[in-house]
Amino acid sequence: MASISLLNPKAEFARAAHALAINISAAKGLQDVMRTNLGPKGTVKMLVSGAGDIKITKDGNVLLHDMQIQHPTASMIARASTAQDDSTGDGTSTTVLLIGELLKQADIYLSEGLHPRIVTEGFEKARDKALEVLDKVKVPVEINKNNLMEIANTSLKTKVHPQLADLLTEVCVDAVLCIAEDKQKPVDLHMIELMEMQHKTDTDTQLVRGLVMDHGARHPDMPKRLENAYILTANVSLEYEKAEVNSGFFYKTAAEREAFVRAEREFIDLRVKKVIDLKRAVCDGTDKTFVLINQKGIDPVSLDALAKEGILALRRAKRRNMERLALACGGTAMNSFDDLQEEHLGYAGTVYEHVLGENKFTFVEDCKNPLSVTILIKGPNKHTITQIKDAIRDGLRAINNTISDKAVVPGAGAFEVRAYNELVQYKDTIKGKSRLAVQAFADALLVIPKTLAINSGYDAQDTIVKLTVEDRLSPELVGIDLSTGEPMKPADLGVYDNYIVKKQILNSCSIIASNLLLVDEVMRAGMTSLKG
Amino acid sequence: MQHTREIITLQFGTYANYVGAHFWNQQEANFVYARDDGGSQLDDAKEEQLPQNDVLYREGRNDLNQVTYTPRLLSVDLAGTLGHLPQVGELYGNYVPLLQEDTQTEDALQRTKQDAEQSNLNTDGELDVLQQPTAAISEYQQDLLRNQVNTLDKDYKLAESCNSWADFLYARYHPRSFNVLPGLVRQSDVQTLATHAAGVELWQSADFNEEFCDRIRLYAEECDALQGFQLLFDIDDGFSGMASKCLEHLNDEYSRANFTLPLHYPRNVSYAQADARTSLNIRVVNSVLSYAQLSEQANMFTPLSTLTTIWRNNTLQSRQLPGLQWQADNLYQSSAVLAAWLDTMTLSYRLRQTPETLPRFCQRISAAGRTMTAAAMSLPLGMQQKPQDLIDYLDEQANGTMLAQLSPGCEPGTSHLLQMIVARGIPQSRLKRPMAQAGKQLQMAAYGCDSVSQMLQLYYQCAYHGSMTHATATPLPLQTQLPFPYEMFDANIDSAGFRLPLNGERKAGTRVMSAPVLAALQNSSKLGEHLEALHAQTHRVQLAKLQSYAQVALERDEYETALDKLLEFRDNYEDSHYL
Repeated sequence: MASISLLNPKAEFARAAHALAINISAAKGLQDVMRTNLGPKGTVKMLVSGAGDIKITKDGNVLLHDMQIQHPTASMIARASTAQDDSTGDGTSTTVLLIGELLKQADIYLSEGLHPRIVTEGFEKARDKALEVLDKVKVPVEINKNNLMEIANTSLKTKVHPQLADLLTEVCVDAVLCIAEDKQKPVDLHMIELMEMQHKTDTDTQLVRGLVMDHGARHPDMPKRLENAYILTANVSLEYEKAEVNSGFFYKTAAEREAFVRAEREFIDLRVKKVIDLKRAVCDGTDKTFVLINQKGIDPVSLDALAKEGILALRRAKRRNMERLALACGGTAMNSFDDLQEEHLGYAGTVYEHVLGENKFTFVEDCKNPLSVTILIKGPNKHTITQIKDAIRDGLRAINNTISDKAVVPGAGAFEVRAYNELVQYKDTIKGKSRLAVQAFADALLVIPKTLAINSGYDAQDTIVKLTVEDRLSPELVGIDLSTGEPMKPADLGVYDNYIVKKQILNSCSIIASNLLLVDEVMRAGMTSLKG
Repeated sequence: MQHTREIITLQFGTYANYVGAHFWNQQEANFVYARDDGGSQLDDAKEEQLPQNDVLYREGRNDLNQVTYTPRLLSVDLAGTLGHLPQVGELYGNYVPLLQEDTQTEDALQRTKQDAEQSNLNTDGELDVLQQPTAAISEYQQDLLRNQVNTLDKDYKLAESCNSWADFLYARYHPRSFNVLPGLVRQSDVQTLATHAAGVELWQSADFNEEFCDRIRLYAEECDALQGFQLLFDIDDGFSGMASKCLEHLNDEYSRANFTLPLHYPRNVSYAQADARTSLNIRVVNSVLSYAQLSEQANMFTPLSTLTTIWRNNTLQSRQLPGLQWQADNLYQSSAVLAAWLDTMTLSYRLRQTPETLPRFCQRISAAGRTMTAAAMSLPLGMQQKPQDLIDYLDEQANGTMLAQLSPGCEPGTSHLLQMIVARGIPQSRLKRPMAQAGKQLQMAAYGCDSVSQMLQLYYQCAYHGSMTHATATPLPLQTQLPFPYEMFDANIDSAGFRLPLNGERKAGTRVMSAPVLAALQNSSKLGEHLEALHAQTHRVQLAKLQSYAQVALERDEYETALDKLLEFRDNYEDSHYL
């Protein structure tokens, strides 16, 4: 009898073995769902909601979000996986698989009477050892295009079709290298804009060395295409609208009111005139043109005045685009037009508008030294675009991780196999029962190469035996070649994973698994049930 | 050149979406389509007396090159409230139509699957289709999809069967409109997003914030002369926090007028892990925090509910509108009442050629920082069928008690008030009789008035002491066919919404098709009592004991500041002679 039932007869509870069984079955359940996703040969899931919404994904995190998990244990594991995604952007399926497997392996020993506390102690030792191994096998890399391509490609191949993955890899790496100044610090990924275009027939992703905005000119007479353009970015209202709602003006006669209105209007006209003056000063007599991109609004009267001068004006630009524009084209974002100089202007080789249905896009291209770029995703429908977008995000994160780690880890299950072998040896140096837990940890790690093999249609045991034997013989790491099922050297095929991802997985998985193992009572007794 | 003065509407929360759904249904019911012979369906209402729909709606074009006309609307709700509606809306594709005959659904699914496989995104044959069970669809929506809705005879029993606002939504939205909170699933018994602070946190989360603000921006970018925002939100749960933060954002970014409507559920709301008392306390704290924000951020706000008061109203005492009966805690019916008020009241700035603008509308009666106003309505207007005219009816109502309050706890009284009145559905011919047949009417002072608004203005000048009234009128009545809950009307209301003389009854089997309405926004020093009542509730609240607030770490200081602000705001209503 749990003590809570003395206080609250209605409380639901589960004790010791039962509590553990609940946790383990939940972890296994999740594992079963995610198992088929792992690796480049994993299947893709198309989710169709009750109302017909479509989502196509292979990303463990996206799947977990869409499953709306109720089970408390399962949701805890799902959160670990979300955290993994937040901090590294990859390895979400691996997290879920590993936690499930750790519990499964521990369960074998627990059912024979081993105390969970001893298991968790063993897990800790094994984790420390595994991290040591990880540090030993990591390969320092020079940050160059080739190395980044390899790592991005490994990550992207687990998300989309290999052909597309190759294309996206190129795009992602170019994007990052374009805006990385010294290639030593990770870049600000916000400076890579992802713009989506829904286009009936086209599936295409390209890198635009400049900016693409999701709005266009709102005046029919404005030019649709400009070359050699000065870019003025501003955050100044060009609308005749009283800023404060409560500010009124008082008048006696209609004429007086007219005068007031004219005065207010003039105030705005003056601002427009300043822009026009600058345009005349820098453009007249040359082949240069002028573009105004404003974060605030521009009303039709002002648009009209600007259009007459052949100025292309965009209103209500994204706040973040102000920053991006300054980086892409140069110049400064202006908060007032009082002291406009030529040096405040940016430059772009071409600016043009593209209309798709009710959406307009404005391309600002051919910048001199763009420090902000745009990845333009085209797809025939929303879910395709989303799938590509998710993949690109992960690819960019993988590249950024590499830049900050300056090291990578051979992929294709190679690290797990090496860690397994090292742990098996390490086990013998440990006294007492906790060596059993080290064995369990080692066995659990093998779930990654095993699942990779199964998903590609090979025999799991067969592969594991081959891999472990090969690994012991070779000083270099050995992973599984998914196209043949035979052992291979990841370095030869350029299959690399992020160091930080592996590290994070080892850490979070062993902690979550230990926590779940130590639970010996699960109760549910909310405030409502206390009322009786 | 005259431009449309656009307004963007935002709806936060489930009940707000209920009211919103009725509101948009009403808009579409009032659309007038040009007939083939050049005339229009509605002959008795003149062109300029119709609402200017472009104020609230935008024209768009979908991928099939069809023209769409959708509300300039952003709606936020919990997962699960959309029911059968795909999140991307039904007008722009991008979803699998699940609700036709079974074979078609299979085909559509197969086609989508093939498309996905053929695009070089995925390898052939490696696509698993996981289909969740198809959402239940109400009979009304099914008939709507088949294009055979029978508004005249069929009884859809929406009041009993309706689970969500999606079940009776006639209007169709733009894909930008729906924002579903991922991971927060609606539960029938408790509020999933419970606290103000949780809502604030959600607003600040990077994913939601960026996407949502971008959607506001896209609407604003399209507008040539944006005049402001209408904002509806549930004040009882976490959506209040989200809406307060959103108001802040709107003021920072756009500095336009906003007309804000906090909505109270017509029930005692319960929260996860809270008994009745804790629930009430959570509700009080939510309200205090919201009011403090509203007093600073809103140009004008009007709390709405069909209950008489929110605090300790265990028996759910509801407001009474003569001629109208509804179940006090029914969301579908009560939201229709509130939506009728909202639609009528906002007509004042939505009519064609009206000089009224949203900023002026908000300013007119909220002088001296008294930005909280109270709503009142008369639906149906108690006026009898012919031969009674408006002038006769007003003559009977000498003490000015036509209106029933719709703001909880607000009783603005009958003297020293500022008010705006909108009357609809009273044709010019029912104003008064022509001179020759006038008889008794000739002796009334109001006989000199030539329009409905003029007569109402005169009436209130006499009925309310020391008050100021601004009246507007349109002959366009409130449309009360399906999906409006027409069953709420009493039997002695005729199909045009006028009262039958004596105890006459409407012909069996006929329904009320439209009704005249009188809606009002009022402000007086007595509204301070509502704020006082709220403040009095806080004495019993022990913040430390509210678990759900402890979880999201609301700072004690923050709460104290909000309380101070509430008192400060209350002081604005102090001087009783101020007009």
